[in-house]
Amino acid sequence: MKIGYYPGCTLKSRAKNLEDSALASLAALGFEVEELPRWNCCGAVFSLANDDLIHHLAPVRDLIRAKDAGHERLITLCSMCYNTLARANLLMKHDEEKRKTLNLFMEEESDYFGEVEVLHVLDFLRRELGWEKLRAAVKRPLEGLRVAPYYGCTLLRPREVAIESPDLPVMFADFLRALGATPVEFPEATACCSSYQIIANESAALEASAKILRAATASSADALAMSCPVCEYNLGRRQGDVRSKHEGVGELPTFYFTQLLAIALGLPQETLGLKWNEASSLELLKKKSYLTVSA
Amino acid sequence: MPYPEELKKLIKIVEGTRAERVARKKAGEEVPFLSLEQRKERLKHHPDFQEEGRRPLKVGASKGYAIAHEFADLLEARSRIDPNKVDLSRWDLETDVLVIGGGGAGSSAALLAQEHGAKVLLATKLRHGDANTMMAEGGIQAATKGDKDSPYYHYLDVMGGGHFTNVPELVERLVTDAPDVIRWLKALGCNFTQIEDGRLATLHGGGTSRKRMHYAADITGAEIMRTLRDEVRNRRADITVLEFSPAVELLLNEHGACAGAVLYNLETETYQLCKAKAVVMATGGSGRLHVRGFMTTNHYGATGDGVILGYRAGVPVSFLHTVQYHPTGVAFQEQAEGILITEKFRGAGANLVNVDGQQFVNEREPRDIEAASIILECTEKRKGVPTPSGKTGVWLDSPMIDMLEGEGTVKREFPGKHILFKRFEIDIAKEPMLIYPTLHYQNGGLEFKASGETKIPGFFVAGEVGGGIHGANRLMGNSLLDIVVFGRVAGASAGSFVKSKPRDGKLSLEHVSRYHAELEAAGVGMDRVAPMVLPDYTPADVKKKQWTAHYEGTLR
Amino acid sequence: MSQAPESLTAKLIPIYIMGKRYEVPETLTIMKAIEHAGYKFIRGCGCRGGICGACGTVYRRPGDYRIHVGLACQTVVEPEMVLTQIPFYPANRASYDYATMEAVGAAVGALYPELFRCVACNACTKVCPMDVEVMDYIAAVKRGDLAEAMRLSFDCIQCGLCASRCMGELPQYHIAQLVRRLYGGKLAPATDHVDAMVKKIADGYYQQKIDELKKMSVDELKKLYTAREQEPHQAPELWKAKSAEGL
Repeated sequence: MKIGYYPGCTLKSRAKNLEDSALASLAALGFEVEELPRWNCCGAVFSLANDDLIHHLAPVRDLIRAKDAGHERLITLCSMCYNTLARANLLMKHDEEKRKTLNLFMEEESDYFGEVEVLHVLDFLRRELGWEKLRAAVKRPLEGLRVAPYYGCTLLRPREVAIESPDLPVMFADFLRALGATPVEFPEATACCSSYQIIANESAALEASAKILRAATASSADALAMSCPVCEYNLGRRQGDVRSKHEGVGELPTFYFTQLLAIALGLPQETLGLKWNEASSLELLKKKSYLTVSA
Repeated sequence: MPYPEELKKLIKIVEGTRAERVARKKAGEEVPFLSLEQRKERLKHHPDFQEEGRRPLKVGASKGYAIAHEFADLLEARSRIDPNKVDLSRWDLETDVLVIGGGGAGSSAALLAQEHGAKVLLATKLRHGDANTMMAEGGIQAATKGDKDSPYYHYLDVMGGGHFTNVPELVERLVTDAPDVIRWLKALGCNFTQIEDGRLATLHGGGTSRKRMHYAADITGAEIMRTLRDEVRNRRADITVLEFSPAVELLLNEHGACAGAVLYNLETETYQLCKAKAVVMATGGSGRLHVRGFMTTNHYGATGDGVILGYRAGVPVSFLHTVQYHPTGVAFQEQAEGILITEKFRGAGANLVNVDGQQFVNEREPRDIEAASIILECTEKRKGVPTPSGKTGVWLDSPMIDMLEGEGTVKREFPGKHILFKRFEIDIAKEPMLIYPTLHYQNGGLEFKASGETKIPGFFVAGEVGGGIHGANRLMGNSLLDIVVFGRVAGASAGSFVKSKPRDGKLSLEHVSRYHAELEAAGVGMDRVAPMVLPDYTPADVKKKQWTAHYEGTLR
Repeated sequence: MSQAPESLTAKLIPIYIMGKRYEVPETLTIMKAIEHAGYKFIRGCGCRGGICGACGTVYRRPGDYRIHVGLACQTVVEPEMVLTQIPFYPANRASYDYATMEAVGAAVGALYPELFRCVACNACTKVCPMDVEVMDYIAAVKRGDLAEAMRLSFDCIQCGLCASRCMGELPQYHIAQLVRRLYGGKLAPATDHVDAMVKKIADGYYQQKIDELKKMSVDELKKLYTAREQEPHQAPELWKAKSAEGL
């Protein structure tokens, strides 16, 4: 049966490139995903403190919608949405008292016990396809492309919802290797980009980004890959500001990991949503002759 | 409650003839339209043509003209205020253009006056948008499809519907401005229903020769009203809206020009003078007068105030002897009684059917013909369907629409009525509705010109308060059109009038004093007060207990 | 007038208007019941036909913690109901320049930053007397899907009950109005046939014909009227008249 898919708000606007490239790739790999018929913002803009139940309403309601639509598994692309939904799901699964409170409050919805499995698409590909099969499906290996896999925070923290062991994460590198690219190790791979601090505390946020970009460049990466629209905003869209305020930060193209996947699968350029990327990203792809237009 | 057993049995009869009626419709075999001669004969059964319902006016510019008693009672009545006690040397509000009425006509006028450079004050009796505009469901006519329609055919249809009595200049303006009104509303963000290629969907209405009824699902008026209102609110730097402040008298100045109005704050029961360089009267209609005891589809404030005010100031009335009864008001359920069932149901193919399941009139005749036919069927012919409350009605066979246009059409195209009846456990896609004519529209009103002007300088008229556009009978979809066409015209004219720097002068209520003298001389109406402002639905037994002997400030 | 017969014959039931008990005929709507009790409306009553949004009413039933809602003009009274109308509730509306505003979600978010305070509690949807899925249209606006927000909010009558219940303090109905206008005027398909007709009229294409009609006697007009060709009910959109007269 079709796998439930939760897009998240940003993927319908600024991060359309994340959604378009992911959906095209999943289809090319033979997976049928189905967007939830009704969904609301997962609430990622609020912190999910355990005692702040009101902010659990949004993600739990999405999980209920997934369950009501008959989905046992729900995949997400955005790290933030993944994190929010997965944590809310854990709470509903394991915290009986809070589950009761939430179910009672949402009496107009079906009761929910954490039945739906929330998966980030990277983890989904590892489990459902495996890296060997992915390698076999690649039509245009990204040979010689040095990519720094940037996890950020929300794929690995907190530990209970990490997509793999946060101590020594390898999944992102394995994924890139399967695409034929060369993953580069860099010390800031799991550092925080400072997220929404960019609004409240801009200079500190730009500094955090500078540190990450410097480290990636120092590892001679050609590009930075990520899965979170907020990280992309700080490290990609605001990269010019970072460079103008901090010395020693070179220009570094950024991509969503699904864009690299789509390129490797030989999918046409229009599935990549490149208009949402920075100019340097497009230039790199042109230089590498990775772009094709569909017939 | 759902239909009781007795009615369910009668519905079986309707079902029995339905397949055949649908087949006829599909084959294009319609019940023939009445000839003009037959129409004349049929209209004898229309309430307008029954002499005992009306009387000649004894005072004013249209003295001798016979209109319904309920309206005559208000025209032959005193002012709410004593003109001699009002201090006219100072005023509370001042503006370029005063628009009286916050419906579709008033809002359109406010927008256009503002676009012509005027500061506008819009005073309205209830909330901005509490108006019959909001309730108009069916659509708005305009010949926008040049490959099969034109203002020429629209003109002919309007004239025929009004029995060729309409004022030609007003009709010309109506039909030639219509397409631009649709363009304007769409450009303001109004969501008309569109078909695949982007063309606007259009339907037939009673009396149309071409499908030119544009609509927004079944809440066309509400969609237009809320769009106009939202745009008025965007221009609050230039347009001030004053709610719960009906006008109760016009102000003239010493040169005989209109110079503002006396506004009444319904909540504090205080009066304010508003001085203006021009006034647009857009108060709408008068269904709440319950002419001849009929129920009405009109909103709570539809008490004909603008006609009273304009008439007292010297503007004649015309076509006020004709009142439109909407053929299809709810006759069952009791609590929804009188509520309008849009003509679009008939435009989409639903037959009117009597107790024997027989279609007795083509469902696309003009409204007065439909209403007269239904009344005839229920009275003389005794083919009406008895309701549980002892009244009669006829069937509006809505399930035909799904059979003609495909399953789900009724629910999709008539969501408002579908929900209304669903609350009563009636699915109108499967069961017909029981209907009877209900008071709907004031065909006549103050006399005015195609420029919105009246015989009083600085006094403009727009919408249902004016008479002449529709002659003796209005076609469906021409009222939403009328209010926007003439709202825009009156607003623009008022704005230009202000620009022409009209002569300022001392404010006057002399016209009210003169009117009072005329009433006294004629010996009528000195015991009555008008405008009514709001109808009174207090039950008689409660009234008997309202013993207050004397009210300070207001009348109750 | 017309209310009299039913109030004489129907069974009386107790209702509580703002906590005070009145006996009213059980067949009445809340609106008619309030009038039956002796109130005369100034606020809380508009079209009396379920579309203007003036008469939003909230009530509770005995032994039921839930808030129930209805339009006073559409909802029939129930025994022991405790009701009040909410004829007005403050809600901020952002003014904007429609002509220049861009029809994108971000522009709506800039006018109404409180959009992002929605926690999906669903109180708005639960209180809507028109069964509009308010929370869902807010969700659609947040992700910039203005077409969906317009569709979902289309039946909104702007009674303001959603805003009265919102813990994020959003003025939902103002946001919806803005979005519907942005859709209708800027995102919905263009209507070339309207523009073409407007131009033809402005160019005077029909003027001579109309002038002729205006001068005609009633009898001449009647002839033309009776003979005019009728587009059949079932005619397709691109139906062509046999006669080009007047076109």
